[in-house]
Formats: sequence, structure tokens, C-alpha cells
Amino acid sequence: MAVKVAQEWFAICGGCEVTILDVGEPLLDVLPALEFVHMPVIMDHKLYGQTGEEKQMNIPEADVGIITGGVRNEENKKLAELMRSRVNTLIAMGSCASFGGIPALANQYEISEIYDRVYRGNSTTDSGDTPQGDVPALLDRVYALHEVVKVDLNLPGCPTTPDMFVGALMHLLKGTPFAVAEKSVCDSCPTIREKKAVGTLKRPLEPIEGAGEPLNNVRCLMEQGFLCLGPATRAGCGGMDGSAPRCIKAYMPCRGCYGPLQLDANPMVDMMGALSTIGLDPKQIPDRAATFNRFAGAGRLQAKKARK
Amino acid sequence: MATDDFDPLILTYCCYWCSYTGADLAGTSRIQYPPNIRIIRVQCSGMVHPNLVIDALTNGADGVLMCGCHEGDCHYREGNLRAKARADAIAMMLEDFNLEPERYRLEWVSASEGPRFAQVVTEMVEQVKKVGPSPYK
Repeated sequence: MAVKVAQEWFAICGGCEVTILDVGEPLLDVLPALEFVHMPVIMDHKLYGQTGEEKQMNIPEADVGIITGGVRNEENKKLAELMRSRVNTLIAMGSCASFGGIPALANQYEISEIYDRVYRGNSTTDSGDTPQGDVPALLDRVYALHEVVKVDLNLPGCPTTPDMFVGALMHLLKGTPFAVAEKSVCDSCPTIREKKAVGTLKRPLEPIEGAGEPLNNVRCLMEQGFLCLGPATRAGCGGMDGSAPRCIKAYMPCRGCYGPLQLDANPMVDMMGALSTIGLDPKQIPDRAATFNRFAGAGRLQAKKARK
Repeated sequence: MATDDFDPLILTYCCYWCSYTGADLAGTSRIQYPPNIRIIRVQCSGMVHPNLVIDALTNGADGVLMCGCHEGDCHYREGNLRAKARADAIAMMLEDFNLEPERYRLEWVSASEGPRFAQVVTEMVEQVKKVGPSPYK
């Protein structure tokens, strides 16, 4: 019997859905074993019944639930709870669902500041009142899915690689345990490390030495002075076969899209340590809190309150 | 939000060679000081990594007090100087974590300074009471 899958998207760009559609040939192996019962991005299945005849939101029962995106508003929260009650296994897919992702950078501001910025005091739009009534109200901050309901598996990544998604799905179909390795990007990075910086911090667009050469001839980008979030970021973006991280392959420093190594890790502290160990000065980095928590703001970034 | 019913929890790192003995002296001399501190004995103030301070403050403590030997008195010769250098990094991290600088304090307390230990603790408790509970609580 086919495994029923329900999918829902919250505060997200849609990139993780593209990953599902981008699986390619392995999809042919998986597809016969799956039956999608709810997935707004590819199928017409409405929450209040097809003609809006139902009074309450409803998601069909399923074996596996996949949620992408962070929990931003009341509707997201209700749907997350509804999904949890309807499925056996809940997967948080992508960094937004796992750690808040890019939308969680908004957690640096109070919700009133965000409303003021968007609906008033913006020079290019007409000022107006904050919409109320017809749209779900925003929560006080962006939450990661695991902060709202129990999550069985976090699949990090912005977006998750297709083969990690397929790997998790195959293990689930076979009933074998699946875990994302707790290794850092540096562990899978082939560049040369000597634990000592050769320069001071550089701006991201300055030329990288050794660009174009094989990666194992290139000096670690961080040691060259480029801010690379590799030490505090989970490996896996290169694919499940453990090849080099994707950004490094393109001679760009890691942006941290796979999030921290553990759910309770503190990338800000880890990055301070990593920078000062090789002799770079963290004070020179602008907007440190947001830079180090770029994809992991839920529960880590806090609104700046007026100092007494 | 300084309220009278706020009872801060202050984690205190005391170095084995000076400050812990100083705290012990305060106890054996029956000097009174507020019961808000929880002392952790470490070998040297220089071994307390900034991570531990941030972890404490983001996991329930309202303040962190670090006590070490006076400069020049360190049993390991320069451990306390390391703690002093780290205080700058900690100040920077407190700012990044949106915490008030008053929540961290580095003090030198020698083994013979029981009254001074009690005074430092009293001041620290007052200081933390003024800034209120940690926003991470």
C-alpha cells in the first residue's frame, strides 16, 4: 500500500518545494510507493473543502507529514498543530522549518517595529493601518517548527539537497533509522588549513587566491580573511556522498545555510571562537548577530530593547 | 524592571587558589552576603571560556561573576591575565546577545579577602537586580 504524504508550506520562498520536484530520476523509484494527499504547491486540495463548504480547516490523515517554512502567523501555528495530529511522522524540511531561516532575521525587531516599517514610515508606499481581520495575525516572532510541535526529523538546508530528501524518504519507506551527520562544513572541505590567518578580514567580493585551481590546492577561505561560516555550519550541502561544500566548489565562503550542528548550538559563540583561534578580530565584522545566525534566527536572535 | 521580588541567580566562578578560599573564609568568618550566588570552583579563572559565560546567561542565570587571583598572584602565573583579556570578548558577545554589560563582572579576590568577597557579591546582586531578569529566562 502506498505511503500517504501530506505537505504544507509556511513562511518560505518555495525553494524546498522545488527540491522535491527536482529530485530527478530517483523520484521514479520513490513515486510508486507514495501517495500525496495534500500538497498546496502541486495539487488542488483546499483546507476548507473544495468549495469552501467546511467550517474547520482539515488535512487528510497521512503517514508522513512534511512542513517547509518557519511558523510566522497564527494560521501557520494552527496548521502545524493540525498536521501533527494527522500524521505519524513529521519532517521539518529546510532551514526555515528547522531553525527559522532567512525570515527569522526579523526576530531582531519587535513586531510593532516591523509593522511600522512596512505599513508606515516607508518613503515609497502610502502609509496606512496594519491590516486586521481578513489575514492571520503575525506571531510575536518567527518560530522554528520544533518550537511549536514535536518534530521527528529536521532536514536542514536552503534548500535541502534532493538526495538528502530522497535518502530520508527511502529510509522512512524501508523503516530504517535516518540521521543527518553532525559534521561541520569544515570537516568536508578539501581546502588547505594551517590554523593561522594569512591576512586580515576582507570584504566578500575581493578576489580569492587560487580561484579556479583544484580545491585541495586552495588555502582555507577563512584563513585568507573571508568570513566563512563553515566551522559552525552542518555539512551536507555537497550531497550525501560527502563531496565538497557547494559554495566552496564555486570559490565562495560558506553562508551557513545548513544551520548549526545541533538544535541547541550557538553559532555566534562558535564563530567567535573559530575566528579568534586563527587570529582574526571578530570586532571587525559588521552586524555580527545577524551574520552568524543568518539561517538560524528562531530562538537565537532577540529584539533589541531600548536600553535603560 | 527592577522589582523587589526579583531574586537573581548569579553563577560565580571562583578560582581554586585564591577566590574559592576567599569565599570559604567569608563563610567561616560568618560574614553575611545575599544567597543569590552559586559558586563553581575552577582551577583558574583563565580556564573559563567565554562560551561558558554566554551559555550560563542564555540558560537561566541572570548574571555571571568571575573571581580570580590578583594580578601577579596567579598560581599559573598568567591565567588571570587571560581572564582579563577574555573580559573584552565577553563584553562584545554580551552586546551581540542583547544582554546588559552589568551581567558580567570580573573581580580579583585573594584567599585572605573574605570580607571583600562578601562585598563583591553584595554589589553584584544589587547590580543585577537593577537590570532585571535575563531576557532568555
